[in-house]
Amino acid sequence: MKAGTPLLQLQGITKEYQMGTEIVRALRGVDLAIHENEMVAIMGSSGSGKSTLLNILGLLDVPTAGQYWLDGQNVARLSQSALARVRGRRIGFVFQTFELLPRQTAVRNVELPLIYSGTAHRRQLAIEALERVGLADRMKHRPNQMSGGQRQRVAIARALVQRPAILLADEPTGNLDSRTSEEILDLFENLYREGQTIVIVTHEPDIAQRCRRIVCLRDGQVESDEDCGAARPDPGVLMRGGQAP
Amino acid sequence: MIFLSNVYNALEQLVTHRMRSLLTILAIVIAVTATITVVSVVQGFTRYVSNFLEGLGTNAVFVAPQRPAGDAGKSLGRVELNEEDFHAIESQCSALRRVSPWIPCQDVKLRYGRDQITCSVEGVAPSYHTVRNFPVDAGRPFAVMDVERAQQVCVLGREILRKLELDEDVVGGNLLIDGRRFRIIGVLASKGNFFGHSLDDVVLIPYTTALKMYPVFRRHLIVAAQAVSAEAVPEAKAQITNLLRRRHNLAAHQPDDFIVQTQGEILAAFNNVGAVAVSVLAGIVGISLLVGGIGIMNVMLVSVTERTREIGLRKAVGARRRDILLQFLTEAMTLSLLGGGLGIALGYALSTLASLHPHMVDVVVPTWAVLLGFGISAGTGVVFGIVPAVKAALLNPIDALRHE
Repeated sequence: MKAGTPLLQLQGITKEYQMGTEIVRALRGVDLAIHENEMVAIMGSSGSGKSTLLNILGLLDVPTAGQYWLDGQNVARLSQSALARVRGRRIGFVFQTFELLPRQTAVRNVELPLIYSGTAHRRQLAIEALERVGLADRMKHRPNQMSGGQRQRVAIARALVQRPAILLADEPTGNLDSRTSEEILDLFENLYREGQTIVIVTHEPDIAQRCRRIVCLRDGQVESDEDCGAARPDPGVLMRGGQAP
Repeated sequence: MIFLSNVYNALEQLVTHRMRSLLTILAIVIAVTATITVVSVVQGFTRYVSNFLEGLGTNAVFVAPQRPAGDAGKSLGRVELNEEDFHAIESQCSALRRVSPWIPCQDVKLRYGRDQITCSVEGVAPSYHTVRNFPVDAGRPFAVMDVERAQQVCVLGREILRKLELDEDVVGGNLLIDGRRFRIIGVLASKGNFFGHSLDDVVLIPYTTALKMYPVFRRHLIVAAQAVSAEAVPEAKAQITNLLRRRHNLAAHQPDDFIVQTQGEILAAFNNVGAVAVSVLAGIVGISLLVGGIGIMNVMLVSVTERTREIGLRKAVGARRRDILLQFLTEAMTLSLLGGGLGIALGYALSTLASLHPHMVDVVVPTWAVLLGFGISAGTGVVFGIVPAVKAALLNPIDALRHE
């Protein structure tokens, strides 16, 4: 664990759902602190609560109990519209199924978060974000004119365009072949080295191994939380073919 | 910025679902087309009718005998308006400037040389030219002497000249009215058409002559009068009513056995016709808007369901409920305003087409009708777009993103 104030901190987070007459306890008191410029994998079998945790981290869902500080701000009890604001400005989402708007070009897809935050110079910022993910030559392409890997890069550019405090990726390589998955992971790796804080939810150990820290969930609780920075592979090896020129 | 983006998205959706959008807005197109067309035509008619009524004469008042409806009418004896009544009105009503009898005889045979036509002959006094605003523009008008001596002289309307293929040289000539020889002393200035019916298709003769020829009218005169001013019209009406009630010995409980109609009342009657047309229109428009609105709501609900994941994504990247609400409301309004726009264009086209008809009045689309068209279509968009938009706005982002 690093020292200093964590970028985000969860304390005693619980989440309960009403399923018919039954109350499902998806999270049972999760404590977690993530510092700036960490690359964390959240692992666990299905039903372990990792999706619920990601939703709460991404402010898509509010916990039943517990505290959540993001950037020193307590965000566990914000209003809907304040949550939307923090989501838009401080958090970048990457989904398994990309979730691009099908009829809009790459650059317009990337601009989307900027529209809602009312940011100026949207086109310029979107172009820069696309350049960061190596898609400078695909600005005007629509999602159906791009490969799966390119689409996910557009989605990552969209997540990065607001310069979020944290990048949340939910099974980002789940819909990609292994070669493309490598490329996307290389991209994450690069972003991490540029200082981006990244949290990846995955059930694949291979992917988790590329992260510096692995948090394992089981039955709604943190089962293990290990720093495996030493075990990471040489980034130089991974760079091959993965990066745009 | 969000507004522009919403409009862009709305247009994009519209282009993507061309057929669906077009079918959806059809009812709104119909509603707005009906509004524009009917309002324009009714306006045209109203203007036309009031122009015509101006032509009846300035501040005109008409008096005619009329048996009241129902038992009260049956209990009255003879209902009549005779020459003495006319003279009494002429001499005793201070609010009137000019008074003339008006004896309209329909289907009278007119013979000039070998040509014979049927037309209406009206028995009048010299003041009629002024009361009805019907001057002569060739020859001379009636003189007092013509009436006093019941001369067989006549003044022809322009349409009579046209039918007999004559020109103004006919003044001084003779023609036969129901077999009697009349001298033509003048030609009336043209008054034009009213709903395709020529107002110039008339022959004027002195009313005394008309009463000799058609004695039945002795008890059944119509009196055309002109009040001294527009303000004096109600006073004139009151004076005539009091005078005739006294002369006809009507008791307080008995209704009038005559009617006094003013130009304004006739105009009001025509306006009533316009009001009926407008309420029929309101019915059509109301139903069309309801149908159109439900269509829009339906399509928007489908659109919200189809795009549930998109809504989830938008929320994930920072869209507030308000943003989503406005996005879908903008989309609904784009549809309804497109319908309104098409309706206005179509209404314009139909109104223009209507005024091309020879017996039709000049139709002008009033600006307020265009604004009304836009207003009702925008209103429909808001009213029926709000439910789907709220549904979209309230979607839970997690559920929306998981939606299959």
